[in-house]
Amino acid sequence: MKALVVDDEPLARRELRRMLDAFPSVKVVGEAGNVDEARLRIEELSPDVVFLDIQMPGGSGFDLLTQLDRVPRIVFTTAYDQYAVKAFDVNALDYLLKPIEPERLATTLRKIQATPSHAATDAPLEQLFIRDGPRCWFVPLREVSVFTSEGNYVRLLWGKERPLLGRSLAALEVKLDPMRFFRANRSQVVNLDFIEQVELGEGGRLHVQMRDGPEIEVSRRQARLFRARSTVG
Amino acid sequence: MIFASQPWSKASALWGPVSLAGVGLTHLLRWVIRRHGWLSLPPFALLGRVIAATLLMATASYLLTQALSQAVYGTPIAPITTAFYHRLSSTGQLRNLFIIILFVHAAWVAIYLAFAVQRHRYQAELHQAQLGRALQTAELRLLKSQLNPHFLFNALNGLRSLIADEPARARDAVTHLARALRYSLASGDEDLVSLERELEMVDDYLALESMRLADRLRVDRDIAPETRTVRIPAMLLQTLVENAIKHGIAALRPGGTVRITAQVVEMELILRVVNPRPDDTTNKTSVGVGLRNATERLRLLFGSRASLRLDLSQAGQATAEVRLPV
Repeated sequence: MKALVVDDEPLARRELRRMLDAFPSVKVVGEAGNVDEARLRIEELSPDVVFLDIQMPGGSGFDLLTQLDRVPRIVFTTAYDQYAVKAFDVNALDYLLKPIEPERLATTLRKIQATPSHAATDAPLEQLFIRDGPRCWFVPLREVSVFTSEGNYVRLLWGKERPLLGRSLAALEVKLDPMRFFRANRSQVVNLDFIEQVELGEGGRLHVQMRDGPEIEVSRRQARLFRARSTVG
Repeated sequence: MIFASQPWSKASALWGPVSLAGVGLTHLLRWVIRRHGWLSLPPFALLGRVIAATLLMATASYLLTQALSQAVYGTPIAPITTAFYHRLSSTGQLRNLFIIILFVHAAWVAIYLAFAVQRHRYQAELHQAQLGRALQTAELRLLKSQLNPHFLFNALNGLRSLIADEPARARDAVTHLARALRYSLASGDEDLVSLERELEMVDDYLALESMRLADRLRVDRDIAPETRTVRIPAMLLQTLVENAIKHGIAALRPGGTVRITAQVVEMELILRVVNPRPDDTTNKTSVGVGLRNATERLRLLFGSRASLRLDLSQAGQATAEVRLPV
């Protein structure tokens, strides 16, 4: 398992490296002292797990995550601000409090190894890190029913949450799994798993009723694709 | 003499019980006032109740006087009234009897009330003053700055790393940490310490932060000798330096220099902490809890004679300045 250590304090990096050396299954492939360095290392080394400090000069660990397309497994390391990590309780993230206890580290590593990694770079995007105001989420994309374009942003319909993603729908669409997501019209992409009912509308349009959600209109051009797809699938 | 024709035994048989009843009624009123907290009522609510009570008391005394007079003299008109108002009709005499009794009661209640209200007000003020003092003490205790837990745990984490590689530095770090902690804990006992003492603690604090930030943290001091004995709130300079590191040095990739100066100008100590800061500080308007508490502490200890100002007008630089009387 490839690991990257991100912390602005050299002593903290050195200590974590030393602790990780005790685990033969983990190989520390690099380290970074700030957000920009970390982004480069992640793109270059594609680590399986990143140990990430929250407070760093020139941007926090959260800033790093919002900049990444493909977020590796993250373990936050922090001295005291559990409150910052608590924002993630929805997704039950891993975090370690510094000074790190060896037993806690062992437990965390066991947990990570027990869950499959999704590090393959050409596979479709499976989850997104989103920060909307004070709240943060790791959103599993298969749970999102509709993506709606709002200017240069995208509003997700995810259960009861409506987080706003800081990138355009066009940029996001190319990274989505084409087997699951379908462009319904100029401003919306829908999750096919969430479609409850499809009705024919005027002039070749389609009306799609989403489970626990709105009715989406499929434009004429996309409706043809949709029908072709349905008959094939 | 107007009373000459009246035997004293008969007069006392009438006025004795009436006086006793008056004392009883007054006590009853006093009990009602206490029981129902009339003294805490707004002025007009109190006035209304007191007028009603006085009327009731006067009426009771009046009826009692009539009854006793009837029993003793065979007429409801007490002889004293006859002596004063013998030219009036008996109805007029009775009316005047009531007015006399009413005046006596009103005067009595007024004197009692004036005294009671004044006593009540005095006690309330005393209580208020005590409350104010207690509140101030509690506020000071609450505002007292302590070492930031984030700093403590980061220091411990760095220390853990040093133990294996550089045991000598680790030992020094333990000494600094112990001294900083002891100072922080003891600062609860004293409000003011000498600047000299505070500077020692700030040195310990800076030594620990240097362990963490390595060469990113540089310090420059300019302390005028006459400032060393000036007494300042404990942990005040530490708060300013911590702020400078947290929002300035630690937020900058290359780090920077914290400049600490102290001088006395016109009987005023001027403490300044200057540090570089990131240009794009997003929360420019929000002053940290640490500085807000320090400002509040200065206000409680020195009133308007002390001030704390954070100057962010220059791009890329922050200056915290404290002025307090020598």
